[in-house]
This record gives sequence, C-alpha cells and structure tokens, in this order.
Amino acid sequence: MAEIVTKTDYMPKSRGKLRSFCAAFIHKKTAVASFFFFCLLIILALIGPSIVPYNPQTPDYNHVLQGPSWLHLAGTDEYGRDVFSRLIVGTRLSLGVGISSVLLGAVAGTILGLISGYFGKWVDKTIMRICDVFFAFPDILLAIGIIAILGPGLQNVVIAVAIFNIPSFARVVRGKTLEVKEMLFIEATRSIGATKSRIIFKHVFPETFSTIIVYLTMNLGTAILAAASLSFLGLGASPSSSDWGAMLSMSRDYMGTAFHLVFFPGLIIFLTVLSLNIMGDGLRDVLDPKSKD
Amino acid sequence: MTMNYKKITWLCLIVAMIMAMTACAKGPSDSESASSAKNDKDITIAVNQNFTTLDPQNVSDTLSISATHAMYEGLVGFDKNMTIKPVLATDYKVSKDGLVYTFNLRKNVKFHDGATFDANAVKANFDRIQGSKGSLTASHYLKNLKDIKVIDDNTVQFTLTKPFSAMLNKFAMIPMISPKAIKKYGKNIGLHPVGTGPFEFVKWNQGESLILKKNPDYWDSNYPKVNKVTFKSVPENGSRVAMLKTGEADFVYPLPEQNVKSLKSSSDISIDQTESTIVRYVSINTNKKPFNNKKVRLAMNYALNKDTYIKVVKNGFGSKLDSTMSPKTQFYSKQGVYEYNLDKAKKLMKEAGYPNGFSAEIWGDTASDTMKGMQFVQQQLAKIGIKLKVKAMEQGTLSNEIYSPKTPDQAKVQLWYVSWSPSSGDADGATRSLFSSESFPPNGANTAYYKNNEVDSLIKKANKSTDPDEQAKIYKQIQKDIYSDAPWIFLGVDTILSGHRNNLKGVYVLPDGSINIKNAQLK
Repeated sequence: MAEIVTKTDYMPKSRGKLRSFCAAFIHKKTAVASFFFFCLLIILALIGPSIVPYNPQTPDYNHVLQGPSWLHLAGTDEYGRDVFSRLIVGTRLSLGVGISSVLLGAVAGTILGLISGYFGKWVDKTIMRICDVFFAFPDILLAIGIIAILGPGLQNVVIAVAIFNIPSFARVVRGKTLEVKEMLFIEATRSIGATKSRIIFKHVFPETFSTIIVYLTMNLGTAILAAASLSFLGLGASPSSSDWGAMLSMSRDYMGTAFHLVFFPGLIIFLTVLSLNIMGDGLRDVLDPKSKD
Repeated sequence: MTMNYKKITWLCLIVAMIMAMTACAKGPSDSESASSAKNDKDITIAVNQNFTTLDPQNVSDTLSISATHAMYEGLVGFDKNMTIKPVLATDYKVSKDGLVYTFNLRKNVKFHDGATFDANAVKANFDRIQGSKGSLTASHYLKNLKDIKVIDDNTVQFTLTKPFSAMLNKFAMIPMISPKAIKKYGKNIGLHPVGTGPFEFVKWNQGESLILKKNPDYWDSNYPKVNKVTFKSVPENGSRVAMLKTGEADFVYPLPEQNVKSLKSSSDISIDQTESTIVRYVSINTNKKPFNNKKVRLAMNYALNKDTYIKVVKNGFGSKLDSTMSPKTQFYSKQGVYEYNLDKAKKLMKEAGYPNGFSAEIWGDTASDTMKGMQFVQQQLAKIGIKLKVKAMEQGTLSNEIYSPKTPDQAKVQLWYVSWSPSSGDADGATRSLFSSESFPPNGANTAYYKNNEVDSLIKKANKSTDPDEQAKIYKQIQKDIYSDAPWIFLGVDTILSGHRNNLKGVYVLPDGSINIKNAQLK
C-alpha cells in the first residue's frame, strides 16, 4: 500500500512522480515524436495567422486550382487561395474545436463519474444507465442528431462532440473512483471527519487524474476527426472558413482534377489524429498500465 | 476501447494510401471501353437527380420532363432551338383575335396500349387537367381556357376567355395520355405512363433507374433507332464522369465543368455545349432594409465582377447575364451589363448611407456549385463592406423557408443565390412569375418582392396582345424597367454541358436543360 505513504508527504513525491514519468516516457520514441508534432500544431494554432505566407481569405482569381509549387507549397484552391496558409490558419479552428469539446466533455464526465462512483447505489445506477443510453448511439449519429436540434455552426459542433464524450469519461472515472474509494487513506480521511466534497475533489480526484489525462489525449483525436466530419457534412464550420473538414468538403468535386485540394487537408487530419493516438498510447503505457487491454 | 483507436488509425492510413494512389493513377485508363456487356442497341443515360413523377401533366422539374417527353407527345412541341413545331397536330390555326385555336390532328397515331389518338382523346386529356381543379401543374397553363370543342375525329378547337400570347408554348407543355390509361390508372398514371411517344415505359426503380423500350408502332417509322434506353440517377459528379469514361453510360448530363479539359483529350468521348435559357442570379429582397434602397442594389451589381464569376465559378462556361432572361428566350432584349466598377459601387454605397457596408445573409441549396457561387458573391461583396453569411440549406428546408411566408413582411430571405429557366421557352414564363407583384411567395417565385406598377400593367398588356411585334416591344420595355431597378444581382447564363460516347448520335440537351432522346442512334 504505497499509496498511503505517497499521501503523507504529497509535494516531494509528486515532483518525483513527474520525473519518473518523464524518464519512462522518453523511452517511447514514437510517442515522443508525436508529442513534438502536437506541440508544433499548438504553436501553429497560436501564432499561425501571423506567419502564413499569404492571406488565407484573399482570393487570387488568376491562379485557381494550381498544383503544389515553391510559390504555393500545397497549391491553390478553386478561388486561388493558398492552401498551405489555409491549413496553418485552420489549425486554430480544428484544434480549438477538438480541445474545447473534449475538455468540456471531460469536465462534465469526470464530475459525473466521481459522483457516480463515490455515492454508488441509485445515484450510480441512474447515471450509468443514462450513459448506456448514450453509448447505444454511434458517436457521429448522436452528434448529427444534436446538431439537427441545435442548428449547424462550430459552437454547436463543440457542444455535440462534448456531449458524446461525457459518457465515456464518466464511465472511466467511475471505475477508477470505485477502486480508489476502497483505499485506506480515503477511509482515514473519512474517519477524521472530512466532508464528502473534500474527499471527492481533494483526495479521489487526484488519483483519477492520470487516467483522465490518458483518456483526454486519446479522445482528442476522435474529437478532431468528428468535428472535421461534421464540417465535411456541412453541419459545422461555414464552407468559406479554413476549417480542415470544410476544406475537404469543398474540394471533393476536384478529386479527379486537382488532387492536392483533397490530399493536403486529408493528410493533416490524418497526421494529427495519428499523432494524438500514438501519444495517448505512450501516455497510457506510462501512467496507467493497468488499463491496457 | 483501445481496439477502436487502432481501427481508426488503420482507417486513416488506408484512406491516405487510397488517396495517394488515385493521385498517381491519373490518365492512361481513360480510353478503355467496357460496353461489351451491353446489347448493341441499348443506351444508358446518367443524370444527376431522381425523377419525381412520370405524370406528364404534373411534372415540375426539368429532369422528369426529359423522361416524359420520351414517352409522351403534345399537339405541338419544341425543336432543338425551342421554336414551336407541330407534333401530334399536323397544323394549327390561330384566329385573328387570338381567342380560337384550331388543331388538325395527325391520323393513324396509336397510344402504347393500342388506344387510338383522336379528337376525343385530346378532349379527355384537357378534361382531366381542368377537372383537377388546379392540383395538376398543367392546369396553370389553362387559366384562360373557356372550352374545347371536338369538330370531327381529327379536328379540335380551343376557345380562350381572353387572348394569351404564350398559349402555343403552353400547348407544347401538355402531352397527351391514353384516355384508356387515364380511366384505368386514375391518379397513379404517374407510375404507369402510356403515351404516343417513340419510347414505351418498362420499369421505374424509384431513386435508381428508369427503363424504356422502343415503340415499334411509332407513327414516324424512321424512329426510334435504339431498342432500349436506361436512365440512371448518379448524383456524384465523379461517378458520372467515371461511367462515361468506362462506357457504362453512353450519355451524361450534366457534365461537371472541371472535367471538360481532361475528357477533351479522350478519343472516345465528345462534349456538347448548348446555350441555355438558365439564368443565374441573386434575388434581392427589395422589401427589406437596406435592400429597398436602389443604390445599394446597384452597388452590389457593380461590385461583382461577372467575368471573374464565369471564369472561377463556371470554369469559363457561360456568359454574362445582360437582361432579365437568356438570349435564347423569346423576346429577349439586351440591356448591357453592370460592368465591374468598384469605385462606383463604393460611391453608391456612400450615397445610400452605408459607407462602411452592413451584414446580411445569403441563402442557397447545398449543391457544390451553389456553395461555390455563394462564396464567390461573399468574397466580392466584402470589397464594398457587405459582410455576407453563407447559409446553405437542404433543398426541402430552403423552399419551405422561402415559399411558406404568407406576406412579404414575414419573409426572412434577404439574398438568394438561385437559377431560373422557363421550360415553355416563352417570355411570359421568364417574367410573370419572377417580377409580377401577383407572384409574391407563396403564389410565385418573385422572391425579390419586386413591385413596379408599370411592369405589372405591361405584363398584363403583353399577355393580351396578339401581335408578336407589339409583344416584342412591350417585353423590351419590361426588361429595361426591371434591369434598371436591379432587383437581382445579375450573374450569368449557363452553358449546358453534356458528354457522350462517340458511337452515340442524336441525344441532345435542350436550352431549358431537358434531354431529348428521340433521335438516339448507335453507330
């Protein structure tokens, strides 16, 4: 029961935890590479609009549908806009939608999972049955349904993707909570009279944190994919914005004549999702080895 | 759960690989022919939509008209240039006052079910339409019809309540159904077409295909020259092109503009261009602020570069719209274009009191061409400070939003990117329902809510006139008035593009966008 010891001197051990995590993670070569790729995307999302070679919204009607060249690294689209610049600027939109929806889903799901796991009985049953209902729908179908009610738009895509993320977070956190709840240090905290909310958020929650991080990274990939799919279907970003999914959607008519229009947005979505999944796998191996199938 | 991510990762990988492969595999496979599986005298035509009905007196979309025109014929019809020619009538006479139309009918014509075509059959058809009390679309054409008289077996006479100059065009839009079939199938005639046309109905798999076969007893023994015609609905642009390349389809319409270049190099495929009566425009709700200000509407017209529009959105196929109708429509009169002039547009906006522009919404359907057009308009109007929000809606939702408001004030539409083509080819079809104040939705397609008393009275005057010269003059004035009021952003006239395999001859698309297969012939 090393956990109990851990809790007695919280601070120093925590720093040690981070160090041992880094030491373990560094050995996962692909995961580290993915991590750096993801950092690059974050940087692009932050400073992208100020470093792009062309204004992503300015059409150039004299150079439409041109293939990749040194002047336009990823070619130009049907209005002569630079695809490379649009992809970079689109990073902010696509990552923003993905991250904010997963974060929203994670916060709501974690709270529900903690409550459900800690209180048990009918609270647990009610929350888990509701989650089961949501699990019964295929993700995208559920999101389309929600958007049909809320109306199209990026904001509603965030809400829809967040909603289908809630049950999976709730279930994972609940499982972890059930496990932690039975531990001695919780028993001890309870016996010295700590309030329920203090136990849940101060003591149980930190124990579930590593699981949540792993899950967050992995769901981020699916969320970006889902947001792109919804934009592709015309339910998300406006077709004129530089969202990756919207770019794919507008260019599918040119698949046979200008492959670069489909190829590059497809490639960046693919790389982003792949890197997030590899990174998630690496994090899981280090942080939460038990959850591996 | 992890399985899931692995699967997704693999899926992404596979998709990327397929994309890379399609990108590499351009070119050489174009000329392979795969038509061996088909019979020598069968043809397949790939189209982009589904047929909605095969009741020739109740069709409203151009594609369904293509199918019904293969099986049915009217007393008169259109030739390749949309001029009227006799079909089931051998000739016709119009009285001087424009009230009495007399048709001499073709003899020895039989319907597909063996019934004889005669004056009584004609009367049965017109009785059906008038008896429908407005539920059949064809009944709109007969608003001015007083009565129909059977003079003898081969002569019928129509009397109108008041002269209607476009009546002959409307007659061409009313095909004759077998009276026996009308009795037998009643309302379901749309599923069991029986006409006099060169092709007989075989089978209709709704949403998929329509199969027709040769009518062996056709009155003109030179036709038809093919045994079987299959229409296939293929909405995806790329698939239609692929079908033409492999020979699975002998004729495709519409042919996507962006594929013209790559198909032109093929020795097995020819591309046909037809100047159309299809006009593209953005209807401006003149009842709403700030669009009720003519200067704003003019500014929008001047701010839009039409040459670039044709080049970018239409890939170079099409021409500038320089009137309220296409040059192929009756009584067209050229008005000159609002040539692109940004300074003038900015000045007009300033004079109108909007030096910094305003925000608005532009609506359209979800077809990729429409989306492209709407975004182009958005980009162009941004230059004079008008910030447009592009709102693409599914066809059903869109027409509901546009045609359901009961009064002009309830209408929410501001700008609508849309097209119009008069299937009857006459000036009335291109004017009355678009610009008459009687045609505000839900009664018509005047979505600009354009109201000009002079135009209203001129339209009425043109309908009453029997003298083509006078009509031409009136329509010239109408076009001038409307064009200068700018209730639309005038964009372009479509060029119709269709593609066919070189061994197929005689199939063509009419200027209104309907396909004619009567002369189809395989070499």
